[in-house]
Amino acid sequence: MGLTVQGARYLLLILFAVLFLMPFVWIWFSALKSTAEINADPFGVPGELMWGNLAEAWTTGRFGTYIGNSVLYAVFVVPLVTAFSCLAGYALGARRPPGERLIFGAFLLGIMVPFQSIMIPQYYLIRDLDLLGTYWGVIVPSVALGLAFGVFLMRAFFRGLPQEIGNAARIDGAGEWRVFTRIMLPLARPGLITLVVLQFMFTWNMFLIPLLYGQDENLRPISTGIMFFIGEYSVDRSMIASGVTLASIPIIAVYLVLQRHFIQGMTAGALK
Amino acid sequence: MTVTVPRTRPRAARRAATGPPGRRPRRGHGISYAFLLPAGALYAVFILYPLAESVFLSLTSWDGAQPEKEFVGLANFERMLGDELFWRSLGHNVVWVVLGTAATMAVAMLLAMLVWSRPRGFTAFRTLYFMPQVLPAVIVGIVWSWIYNPAFGILNRALEAVGLESWARGWLGDPDLALYAVLAAAVWAQIGLAFVIFTAALQNVDTDLIDAARVDGANAWQRFRNVVVPQLANAITLVTVLLLTHGFQAFDHVWIMTKGGPDDSTQLIATYTYQKAFMENEVGYGATLSLVLTVISLIVSVAVVRVRERERISL
Repeated sequence: MGLTVQGARYLLLILFAVLFLMPFVWIWFSALKSTAEINADPFGVPGELMWGNLAEAWTTGRFGTYIGNSVLYAVFVVPLVTAFSCLAGYALGARRPPGERLIFGAFLLGIMVPFQSIMIPQYYLIRDLDLLGTYWGVIVPSVALGLAFGVFLMRAFFRGLPQEIGNAARIDGAGEWRVFTRIMLPLARPGLITLVVLQFMFTWNMFLIPLLYGQDENLRPISTGIMFFIGEYSVDRSMIASGVTLASIPIIAVYLVLQRHFIQGMTAGALK
Repeated sequence: MTVTVPRTRPRAARRAATGPPGRRPRRGHGISYAFLLPAGALYAVFILYPLAESVFLSLTSWDGAQPEKEFVGLANFERMLGDELFWRSLGHNVVWVVLGTAATMAVAMLLAMLVWSRPRGFTAFRTLYFMPQVLPAVIVGIVWSWIYNPAFGILNRALEAVGLESWARGWLGDPDLALYAVLAAAVWAQIGLAFVIFTAALQNVDTDLIDAARVDGANAWQRFRNVVVPQLANAITLVTVLLLTHGFQAFDHVWIMTKGGPDDSTQLIATYTYQKAFMENEVGYGATLSLVLTVISLIVSVAVVRVRERERISL
C-alpha cells in the first residue's frame, strides 16, 4: 500500500477541506470587490482590494450597530447563564436536596423540547410583560433558554467532584458560600469554560429569539440584522459579502483561539 | 417553593464531624434551595409555563389579539389531520431527517476513518471540518444562496465549466429541487459535529481485534463493517439521535434560504408553525402544530435516555 494509499487519503482530506473552506474564502474575497466586479467575474481574485467596503458596511449598512448588539447580548447572557447554572448545578449535583430528581427532570425537559415548543406562549408572555422591543426582551428569554443546558452540564461536573473536600472545609469553619466559591467552583473550572464557550456561540448565533423579540431595528443582532439587510438590498452584493465577513470574523477568531474547547465542549455536550 | 435561609453552620459541622459523609448530605437544605432560586425562577416562568401554556393554547381558537381565548376542544387537532399542508410539511421533515442523517453520517464516518491514525495535519483538518458548525446559520444560508444563485453562483458556473450547462438552473427556485438544495447546505454545516464525535469514539476502538481480523483474511470493508462499526455502536446511535432531533427542529437554514417556498416545497413543521402562529396570527392552530414537534422530540429524547442508560460512552 504505502505511498498511493497515503496519497489518496490526503487527496480526499484536502478535497473536503476545500469544500468546507472555499465558500467562505469566496465570500471574503467578494467583500473586497465592487458589485460590478462580482457580477462580471464572481470567482476572480479581487483586482483592487476595496477595504472601504467593510467600512461602508460597518456604518451605512449598520453592521456596526448589529455587531454592537450581538456583543451586548453576549455580555449579558453568557455571565448570567453561567452564574445561575453554576449555582443551580452545585445545588443539584453536590448538595442534592430533597426533590432534586424532580427539579433536575424539569430542567432536562428543557433540553428535550425544541424552542418551537415554547415560542408561541413565550412571545405573548414577553409581550404582556412589556418587554417586546427592549434589550431585556431578548436577554431574559435567552438566559432562560440557556439554563436548561447550563444546569445540566454543571450538575454533571459538580456530581463528579469528591464531596469530602467540601466537608473538610466545613469542619474547618468555612461558610457554605465560601465552600462554593473558593473550593467547589474552582474544581469545576473545565465545565465552566465549556459552558462559557458554548453559550457564547449559542448567543452569537441565535436567530429565532431576536427574530421574534428583537424586531426593532435598533435591537437586531448580527444574525437577523444581516437577514433584513439582504431583504432590502439584495442586489448590493459587495455589501452583503462585507456583512457576512464582519459577522463571521469574530466567531471564527474566537473559534481558532479556543478551538479545543469548542470541539471538546460540543462533543461533551452531546455525550453527557 | 418557600425558601428559608437558616443558620445551619453549627449543625452542618456537627454532622460532618460525627457521621461518615453520606451520598446525600442532609444539612442546610434552605441554602440548597436558595442556590437554585435564580435559575429555577427564571426557568419556571419563561420555559415551563410557556410549555404548559402551549397545550392550553392548542385547545383554543385564539388569534393573539382577542381578550378572551375561546375554548374549542380538539377542533384544531381535527383540522390538522385534514390539513394537506401539514402532512406535506411532515413528509418534507421525514425526507429531511432520513436523507440528511444518512448523508451526514456517511461523510462524517468516511472523514473520521481517514484521520483515525492521526496523520500529519490532523488538527488543521479537524479545525476546518468543524468550522461551519460554529457559524451562525444565517451565514451558512447566505453563503449557500450565493452558491445556488442562477446568475453568478459557483454551482452553475462549475457545471458549465465541465460541459453540463443543461443541468444549470435556479436551484432554490425549482420546487422539485429546493428541499434537497437547502438540505445539502444543512448537511454541509452539520458534518463537523458528527465527525468529531466519531473521531473521539474511534480512539477507543480495540485495534488488536482489527489486526486479528486481518490475519484471518478479512478485507478492508469486512474489517470496517464487522469489527469497527460494532465497536462504534454507541457513537453511531448517539449521532443518529442528535441528527434526528436537529432534523425535526430544522428552521434557520430554510427560513433564510427559501422561507418555506417555492410553493411550500420546503415547508417543514417548524416553518409552518412559525408561519401560522406569527404571520397569519392563528395562534391556537400554531400551538397545535408546535405540539407535534414537542411530542416527536420527547419520543426521540426518551429513546436517547434508554440508549444512554444501556452503556455510557467514555471519551
